[in-house]
Amino acid sequence: MSLFFKSNNLSLGYGNQLVINNLDLSLKISNNYEIIGKNGSGKTTLLMCISNNFIGNTFNSNIERGEYSFMEIGSSPSLIPKLSLIENIKYFLYKESIDEKLIVETLNKYQLNEFKEDLIEDYSSGMIKRSELTIADLKKPDILCIDEPKVYLDENGIQLLFDLLNYRETQKMTSILSSQESINALSNIERTIDLND
Amino acid sequence: MIKKFIIKKELNLELRNNTSLFLITPTMCVLIIVFPILSENRFRVENDMFVIVQLLFLIIFTTLFSIRNPLEEQTLIKELNFGSIKKIDYFYSKTISELGIFYPQIIFLLILFSGFTNTSINNSIIYIIFSVLFFCLNAIMVNLFFQMFTSFSSRFVQFILIVPIYIGFAILIAPMWLGVNQEISNIYSLMLLGITMIIYSFTNFYLRKSQ
Repeated sequence: MSLFFKSNNLSLGYGNQLVINNLDLSLKISNNYEIIGKNGSGKTTLLMCISNNFIGNTFNSNIERGEYSFMEIGSSPSLIPKLSLIENIKYFLYKESIDEKLIVETLNKYQLNEFKEDLIEDYSSGMIKRSELTIADLKKPDILCIDEPKVYLDENGIQLLFDLLNYRETQKMTSILSSQESINALSNIERTIDLND
Repeated sequence: MIKKFIIKKELNLELRNNTSLFLITPTMCVLIIVFPILSENRFRVENDMFVIVQLLFLIIFTTLFSIRNPLEEQTLIKELNFGSIKKIDYFYSKTISELGIFYPQIIFLLILFSGFTNTSINNSIIYIIFSVLFFCLNAIMVNLFFQMFTSFSSRFVQFILIVPIYIGFAILIAPMWLGVNQEISNIYSLMLLGITMIIYSFTNFYLRKSQ
């Protein structure tokens, strides 16, 4: 099974401040991973590094990446606030050229169809998270990284998230979740990276 | 390299961003209208002064346009990764969309400036159009390069670093506007083309390196 991320001496930080020190990490495609740790332990930093969104000091760590599609649903939204949801979907899923009918079906599933013409800047945090999940559902990236998966979601939203993660598991797609403690959303977890140690 | 969906998104954002079309251009227009009255108390300025001040207006307008909506490195990287968009595609598509927004506005301002000061540039319209086109292209590429590859996120730092470069570009088009003969104008046009190609190669090198 091929690796999508490998580092034997991963050190990450901001300026001279070290957040992650000398972590040994080999992540394989089709497996699920979980990152747990208390506040300030470096969960988000590590997740951002894995999903190639990290801007900071890597302290010359040796990082190897596979040619896979990544998507990160982080603590701050990736959607463009001045565009409507449907414009965001068309922008972010341009390469996938997804059928209009499937987009409407997925929007209905996430209860966003009636708000699709509204600007993202007018959305609540929960709706933004649902929108990002909708795009992840449509895009089906090889690796989906979610930071604090349950945050901002209501009961129904959490159920939709769990359904998405279950579907990804059945399709052998990788999911990486980061939170303070395990949320038990994935049935098969290859490794739990505990940053409390 | 040039993606229509990125250009469409950038144009959409520009229409909804009230710091560009709806603020900068009218402000500049008002400045242009009041400038002759302020400087010489009449609606005509001396020819020598005209070209220099027009270049100054060009630099001010380009600077305002460049700092109107700074890109934030972290947000940009997240956006590009979220949509699996390559940096090189984004850079060139954004350059084209910025040119589409900026070039007509700058031509409009130059026409207004000539009209309200009853003076004109001492060269043929073809040379003026090409000199402004090269100026715009260079200014946009340099600005995007600074925003995408450096960590200068503050508008002030961006302003301090970019203005001297814009002054350099303006100095190159100054002789053409002041009215040199056709052979010299051709040489200057070729110089502008050469500089555009150097900037293109430089940015292209960085973009391919960052893939």
